[in-house]
Amino acid sequence: MRLVLLAGVALVGLLAAVLPAPAASLAQSVSASANIAAIAKLALTPASLLFPDADPDLSPSIPSSNGPITITAKARSSPGSQVTLTMLANDDLRSGMDTIPIGALTWATTGNGFLNGTASRTSSQTVATWVGSGTHVGTQAFSLANTWQRAMGTYTVSLVYTLTAP
Amino acid sequence: MKTATGYILLTAAALWMATVPVMAQSTATANVTVNATVAATAKLTLSANTVSFADADPDTTPNIAAAAITVGAKAKTTGSGAVTLAVQAGGPLTSGSDTIAASNLTWTTTGAGFVAGTMSSAAAQSLGAWTGPGNNSGTQTYSFANSWSYATGNYAMTVTYTLTAP
Repeated sequence: MRLVLLAGVALVGLLAAVLPAPAASLAQSVSASANIAAIAKLALTPASLLFPDADPDLSPSIPSSNGPITITAKARSSPGSQVTLTMLANDDLRSGMDTIPIGALTWATTGNGFLNGTASRTSSQTVATWVGSGTHVGTQAFSLANTWQRAMGTYTVSLVYTLTAP
Repeated sequence: MKTATGYILLTAAALWMATVPVMAQSTATANVTVNATVAATAKLTLSANTVSFADADPDTTPNIAAAAITVGAKAKTTGSGAVTLAVQAGGPLTSGSDTIAASNLTWTTTGAGFVAGTMSSAAAQSLGAWTGPGNNSGTQTYSFANSWSYATGNYAMTVTYTLTAP
């Protein structure tokens, strides 16, 4: 009996040495969330345009002397939504009581989504349009129609750009 | 007469005791075998089960950090057992049909054995590794890569932590 018991203990000891120790594994979850809200950001360089005087016979259209405006438009919007950049003049070009119709100001653009156009003081004009979120860079080169029917003076007008990201 | 008899008996007894050997003290021994079972055990504690990233301007906040998570990884294993702690995302950050790749989530750590990394939904990524049993504690701070290209929405994802003690 005693011999049998000893043999049984020895056999168990041998099995314990052969079989691998059981492993322990534990899993736990963490929930990660991120809120992405609509946001729009617009940068224009330079912030002013200059049109020097010129002979209408030689320069029927005067380009701005300080180059095109570089436009950087950044927007995060809902999927498939239309992001738009528009421009509206606050008046005609004015020098005291004298004016130059704002329609004399036109522009040409470069860059994806950017459009050519003519300035208006009555309705916003589309400068660019895109779909969805992203960063867009382009240029807008203005020209002023030149004519002899202009009273001398220094004319100014403000152009208001609006970037909309729904 | 009485005295002589007692004296004779005492002497006889003394004589008998001198000739008979003294009996030795006897001892007995028995063994007790002590068995203590130490099984492989793993215990994982996380100070938070949610991680949130608030909306921010990508230009000013290119990476959005979350509050640090305190991680406790306790394990009982063999002296040379490789204890591992891994994390894996259940998929990308999702908001309806819009997704942001899980790899935009990275983390840094403090504490011996803890390692920094980048989240993946394809394979478990190492968060910590130790040799042998022990009580390991550290912190994990997540960072979310911000971008103008994300569509708006509230994105969510589940991260699974797995602690293994062989």
